[in-house]
Amino acid sequence: MTSLQLLTEPSSLSSSNFIPFNPLYKTLTKPTTKHYPKPSPIRSVLQYNRKPELAGDTPRVVVITSGKGGVGKTTTTANVGLSLARLGFSVVAIDADVGLRNLDLLLGLENRVNYTVVEVLNGDCRLDQALVRDKRWSNFELLCISKPRSKLPLGFGGKALVWLVDALKDRQEGCPDFILIDCPAGIDAGFITAITPANEAVLVTTPDITALRDADRVTGLLECDGIRDIKMIVNRVRTDLIRGEDMMSVLDVQEMLGLSLLGVIPEDSEVIRSTNRGFPLVLNKPPTLAGLAFEQAAWRLVEQDSMKAVMVEEEPKKRGFFSFFGG
Amino acid sequence: MASFWTLQLHPISIPHRVSTNAFELRPQLGFNKSYRIWNAKNKYKDFFLKAAGNSSTSGEDNPIKDEKFLIKSKRNVMLVLQNQVSRLQETIISLPPIILSIKSSPYSKLALGFCIAASVLIVAVRAYVARKPRYQRQGSVADLVRRGQLNSDRRGISKTPMYDDPFNNPLVKISKNNSSVEMCGKVYRLAPVTLTREEQNIHQKRRSRAYQWKRPTIFLKEGDPVPADVDPDTVRWIPANHPFATTISDITEDLAQNNVYQKHGVPFRIQAEHEALQKKLEALQGDQKFNNLVIDPGTARNFERPFKSNIKLDDQQVEHNSANGQTGLRPESQPKSHESSSNSTSEEKPTQ
Ligand SMILES: Nc1ncnc2c1ncn2[C@@H]1O[C@H](COP(=O)(O)OP(=O)(O)O)[C@@H](O)[C@H]1O
Ligand SMILES: [Mg+2]
Repeated sequence: MTSLQLLTEPSSLSSSNFIPFNPLYKTLTKPTTKHYPKPSPIRSVLQYNRKPELAGDTPRVVVITSGKGGVGKTTTTANVGLSLARLGFSVVAIDADVGLRNLDLLLGLENRVNYTVVEVLNGDCRLDQALVRDKRWSNFELLCISKPRSKLPLGFGGKALVWLVDALKDRQEGCPDFILIDCPAGIDAGFITAITPANEAVLVTTPDITALRDADRVTGLLECDGIRDIKMIVNRVRTDLIRGEDMMSVLDVQEMLGLSLLGVIPEDSEVIRSTNRGFPLVLNKPPTLAGLAFEQAAWRLVEQDSMKAVMVEEEPKKRGFFSFFGG
Repeated sequence: MASFWTLQLHPISIPHRVSTNAFELRPQLGFNKSYRIWNAKNKYKDFFLKAAGNSSTSGEDNPIKDEKFLIKSKRNVMLVLQNQVSRLQETIISLPPIILSIKSSPYSKLALGFCIAASVLIVAVRAYVARKPRYQRQGSVADLVRRGQLNSDRRGISKTPMYDDPFNNPLVKISKNNSSVEMCGKVYRLAPVTLTREEQNIHQKRRSRAYQWKRPTIFLKEGDPVPADVDPDTVRWIPANHPFATTISDITEDLAQNNVYQKHGVPFRIQAEHEALQKKLEALQGDQKFNNLVIDPGTARNFERPFKSNIKLDDQQVEHNSANGQTGLRPESQPKSHESSSNSTSEEKPTQ
């Protein structure tokens, strides 16, 4: 990747903006290169051509889970998934939330889901017929596990999902880079099924004690199941409440769970608005605070990186000279 | 000591009395502004002295002395005022008013008007020249983007091409010393993450001790017998009325796996149903029970499933019939009961 960007002609270099070398950029996004050190980031010089470097083997099967419901798993799946698609990776998002499926709603694809995995298993349709391609980003596809009122046959347990991943692997158009699985809440049969094919997990939690206890439990189960690569996203963070000591800070959360951070998503009213529109936040222009945070999380997911610094507190903006008279 | 205090106290009362005088003077001198400034200055002095005077109690002791000084100072002030006013009047007279000077020369007025007109013209011409090339460059890639044929995000020609990098764009600014970040107009302090690998491992060990869990290897309906080769600890019991899961499946595991892996062609169940129907038809044809039967759309609907391939199926049936020389005739009375019963079983099977 680095070498590719070095090959770019000088003309394109001069036409695009140079970014002054920023040491913090490194601390925020440095890929975890524990095995072999890489040369310093030339890639940060060029903005247009900057792309995150995909780490790990494809397909990266990532399960997005939380234990507690309503903390933002589906929101995370939709936004991280579309961010990855925007970065040029092919993504298949599996809505494994049997019973309470709503990823299709968040993505605005609810009218296009005709077949689900249950129909594929029964032989009512082929797998490619059940995949719903997003029209905005054609490298993003949605796959629902079951219709809201039908029952998922668990006779073969999580094997069905393993077959799905295998089938996606040797598709004609190539193996997808990412398979994101939106896990149902709880630790019931649906959860067990959903985590089966995953080799890494994103744990979504909010900074409150109820969500944290569930998150710890779920992390324990994931580790028992052999998923070792677990990172967390702390959602619905309110820096104003943290400053007033009314809410746990992200670092407190990390101290309790002992997981590395993939992202910190602030509470943002735009999240609900984008849910209503069926238009994920990360496609918003101009970008919103939560949208940017999701995109940064997606970037780190690609590079298998984690946060090195967190935003903790809102500083009052420096006041101008004349605000003295106004106040 | 007392006299010292009274001396300092005098000016307090001065402004009030003088001010009445000044008002009297005003109409004569036509002089307003300088008075106000002078008055304001005195007010400040007044305030200051009041503050000083409040602390002393001796101020009220000799009112007569006070009065005497007052008259004296009043006279002084009047003198100063008259001096200032006369000086100001002199300067005003010496200065020729600007508007008068313009009015006096009609040529300069004309020149001024010309200057304004010329500058307006230059601005207009410049704006026109700047706009012209844009019209000439019609049909560029930007038009394709506008018509929705191209994705602007990929081309880098839209307004916000820089935004693809979430760490480095106009809305995310990191301060020089890496201590704060500005996102969407808000400044946040940055704190380093301190979690170490060792701490992570400690947490992992704690969890593995706290949550001992074995992945269930088999899902069984409550009440089912546990198979002999299965560890009872790894059985997950699914209640019969589970909201979204069932242990019952009408197809075997291998078949389901094949269904998932199938890439081309007709899906398994569609194929199977088609074949079953065809077999049935052939059996019926063998029995020669088509004679004197009238087509019934109700029966035809029995065959339909919400798949397009069924249309093909019906066509084939009609073809078969016509091949038999019985165009427009369909099985009716006797086969109907047989078909509807078999159809319903095949429909209900998957939902159980
Ligand atoms: N960062 C956020 N700010 C504000 N609202 C949020 C945020 N994240 C999630 N929500 C809201 O929380 C609700 C639950 O989110 P969802 O993703 O459906 O949770 P889950 O899938 O974990 O049950 C949604 O209504 C969503 O709009
Ligand atoms: Mg959900």
